[in-house]
Amino acid sequence: MKRFKPTLSHLSRRTFLQATAALGGASALGLRGAYAQEPEKPAEIIVRAWGGSWVDSLKAGVSDSFTKKTGIAVRHDLTEDNEIQPKVWAAVAQNRVPPIHINWDTTTNATKSALRGVTEDLSDLPNLANVTDLAKPAGLEGFPIVNTYGYVYVLAYRPAAFPDGPPKSWKDLLDPKFKGRLAFYNDGIGFHFPAQVAGGGKLEDIPGNMQPAWDFITKMKGQQPLLGEDPDFTTWFQNGEIDAACTISTNAREARKNGVEIEWVVPEEGAKFDTDGLWIPKGLPENELYWAKQYINHALTKEAQQVWLDGLGLPGVVPGLTPPKDLVDDPSYPTTEEDFQHLIRISSKVQVENESEWFSKFKAIMQG
Amino acid sequence: MRAARTAYPLKWRIMDALEGVAAAIWPARFRRATPYLMLLPAVLLVGLLVLGLIQIADASLRTLDTTTFQFSDDYSIANFQRALTEPLFLVVARRSLIAALIVTAVTLVFAFPYAYLMVRTASPRLRKFLLIALFLPFFIGQVVRAYGWLIILGNQGMVNEALGLVVVAPMRLIYNYPAVLFGLVQYMLPFAVLMLAPALTAIPEELEAAAGSLGANWVRTFIHVVLPLARPGFIGAGVVVLTLSLTDFAVPAILGGGSQDFTANAIYDQFFRTSDQGLGATLALMLVALGSILVGLVFALFGAGTLAMGRSRA
Repeated sequence: MKRFKPTLSHLSRRTFLQATAALGGASALGLRGAYAQEPEKPAEIIVRAWGGSWVDSLKAGVSDSFTKKTGIAVRHDLTEDNEIQPKVWAAVAQNRVPPIHINWDTTTNATKSALRGVTEDLSDLPNLANVTDLAKPAGLEGFPIVNTYGYVYVLAYRPAAFPDGPPKSWKDLLDPKFKGRLAFYNDGIGFHFPAQVAGGGKLEDIPGNMQPAWDFITKMKGQQPLLGEDPDFTTWFQNGEIDAACTISTNAREARKNGVEIEWVVPEEGAKFDTDGLWIPKGLPENELYWAKQYINHALTKEAQQVWLDGLGLPGVVPGLTPPKDLVDDPSYPTTEEDFQHLIRISSKVQVENESEWFSKFKAIMQG
Repeated sequence: MRAARTAYPLKWRIMDALEGVAAAIWPARFRRATPYLMLLPAVLLVGLLVLGLIQIADASLRTLDTTTFQFSDDYSIANFQRALTEPLFLVVARRSLIAALIVTAVTLVFAFPYAYLMVRTASPRLRKFLLIALFLPFFIGQVVRAYGWLIILGNQGMVNEALGLVVVAPMRLIYNYPAVLFGLVQYMLPFAVLMLAPALTAIPEELEAAAGSLGANWVRTFIHVVLPLARPGFIGAGVVVLTLSLTDFAVPAILGGGSQDFTANAIYDQFFRTSDQGLGATLALMLVALGSILVGLVFALFGAGTLAMGRSRA
């Protein structure tokens, strides 16, 4: 979208939007009529976001530039994604205006909302014409969600704890010296699939036979790992509570930015690759829906993605983004086919339909 | 004539008017019902809770379809079957119950001397200090206090730093079951002291003096006079600590390191992680039932203690 910027000052917003709508191709044709008349601007757009470096990056990359462009303030609601979900579902069920305009969500969580039918269709966003396949939610009709970047659940570690070199396998974490010094997500997310491989199973057997994963997780339970959520990993690394963790690379990178010596690898069994996305709940007034769509459309511009994802250190869905200097050729920033060969991708639909069972199984092992 | 105005001031006129309005709204013949009117807000609040429970009961009988993330229209007991058979829920229920019992026992042991000293001390300064120390934690809040323990007991916390001074390697003091119990006892202590203090105040000091004058040493006086008379306080404090511990969420979540969940944490997971509100509602109902049975047992065995407001068997 940067290439349009020099002419933007000479064009009215209406003309600009019409032009971008035209670029959207056939799918944008239906929206061009709507763009012909710009609806009333709301005082603010409420975007649910994760806190810390996550929201800081979103603000710097997307929200601030959206406000600058449209004059609409952006408020970030830091309610946890899991906690906003029932509120949005209840609002839609009761025909109330939902509490947020845009939900920044994991694709798995967002897929649940899409399956429930509470998401607006985003197929008419003009900038979808310029995105990679990663933006399209697999297994769903149209664009109830737009994936905005991918991420890898890496094996992050303190180099001092691995004097013989970086860990090569998830099995390396079974070394008794790491007892009480490991961390995983408290629902096991990110670890189920590599555990399936490390346990001697096959990815093709997911979800039918995941016994190898449960066996490997049971072995890992013997290491008495800590179980937490995104902010916990950064804190635990910083406080010297853990030596290694299966976490999103962003959390490890955040700890590194805070001065903690930390590295990460994609072990030989692979690491889970997943996506996050943006979606709009049903029930917004027409004008607010229009501007919420504009926000997501803006988030798909190259310039917004570049700044936003530089902050997160994650690969986006717009071609031509430049990786941050510290992540060039990094396994957590896959850009080529070869990079993706080491990563494990399981469709959101399979994940959503089985998540509850996997979650209970992981918890049963870890809480036992 | 201005004298008439001073003889019947404006304030009185206003009061007359207000009384007139009150009499019109609530005539004198309704006077016998006035106490019940006062009860109305509380009844409404309890009524709302009951309505919520009815809704939860309804949700507990519906199962989640993970292809649409909608709940079934039909009723079934599938969620109850899951809750009673899946190892995870049995583990967290057992852990919650055992923790509630341990925390109640330990808290009462710690709370009694504190409450006794607070009530019996002859020094107003010491009493004030104990009262302030008692109320201070209420102003801090449970979550902040639990995070405080993380700072104090963490690997790089004050305790481990102090141990490091005497060449003791850092040890894991948090993220385990004892840490959760410790955090709960610390959280419950003020509640127990507050429940025990009125019961101890009601014991005449002369009784203890009389026991002493009849030759009883302080141990015998304590066992045969103070403890029996303090029983209503123990029962009230015990019931409050037991129910609060059984249903606690924050302390296991923060000090447990993710592997020491209580039933409340499992309920949260079902509502907010797996989106299975039916199963979450089932677990919530079962927790309410367990708490009610425990309290019922205590009341049946020991009476209602201070919660009976002086009408207890004790």
